[in-house]
Amino acid sequence: MKRLVTAVAALALAAGCSRNDGPPVVATDVVVTAPAAGMPMAAGYLRIGNRSGSDIRITRVSSPEFGAVEMHETIIEDGVARMRAIPALEIANGDTMVFEPGGKHLMLMQPFGEPRAITLNFYSGDELLLSIGADFTAAME
Amino acid sequence: MPSRTLLISLVLGIAIAAGLALALRDSTGQAMPRAATLLPAGNTLPDFALLDQGGTRAGKGVFEGQWDVVFFGFTNCPDICPATMTVLGQARRQLEALGQQPLPRVVLVSVDPERDTPEAMARYIAYFGDHNLGLTGELVEIRKLTDALGIFFQKAGGDADAYGVDHSTVVLVIDPWGRLKALFSAPQTVADLVHDLPLIMAGEP
Repeated sequence: MKRLVTAVAALALAAGCSRNDGPPVVATDVVVTAPAAGMPMAAGYLRIGNRSGSDIRITRVSSPEFGAVEMHETIIEDGVARMRAIPALEIANGDTMVFEPGGKHLMLMQPFGEPRAITLNFYSGDELLLSIGADFTAAME
Repeated sequence: MPSRTLLISLVLGIAIAAGLALALRDSTGQAMPRAATLLPAGNTLPDFALLDQGGTRAGKGVFEGQWDVVFFGFTNCPDICPATMTVLGQARRQLEALGQQPLPRVVLVSVDPERDTPEAMARYIAYFGDHNLGLTGELVEIRKLTDALGIFFQKAGGDADAYGVDHSTVVLVIDPWGRLKALFSAPQTVADLVHDLPLIMAGEP
């Protein structure tokens, strides 16, 4: 728990074609669990709000500090947890997609260094860069 | 009439709350667990031969002498396992801060013996607090324990070294005589564990 840390929200905006005043796509409450010593993965949680005026589709997630990043979902049925990869994730206009423990999450594998950034790639070609701030090393307790 | 609706809602709310409060006490007026399911039969565990996180052989006797809260998971599980282990560790720390005696030990039993060596278990369980126990070993030995306790697990799809394991999410409570006494179904919360564990541990031996 001591190494469970919070990365404060990094916000960002997709270069995109919003007709609204605010940023079209916003990620908030970005939390990354620090990989335990020697453990091969961490999990990432966040909220992504889509105010772009159209539906968006996340097709890839990456990070320079991880060898591979996938979107996963934990599904609990009849008391059994099953984890499944989500190849692509659609977020309807106006919706907020929540990645949270026990549900959708980013699986960040093969860490090599302190996590600093996560990039979400969209079907449109846009990118959303989430910079994980200096607060990463702050203890959650 | 909004005020009347509000009044009715309030009365209903109070009635429901009172009903719930009553339901949480048994016929003798004693507080009852609000989330855990008590298992009065207290089934004993079968024999098994596993290894603890120090590589020491551990049989059914490892569950004797203290209260244990037991979860089944694996160290390559990024989401539900760390979330559950975090909740169990937090609950134990809160109980300790409240002066609860005895304190339960947190136990993780691996459902992924291919990758979960004792060394991997040691690193993993230390991450979630002190005084934790990790058990791993031969698949057939793990199955002896999980089959007896009604725990399901099955290797799922994925790459050769990046596969997942589907597994039960229940948390079991085992008494100092090595008997299954109660279970907490997912999602477990710190508040429920802190409320229920002292009641379970104070129950009839």
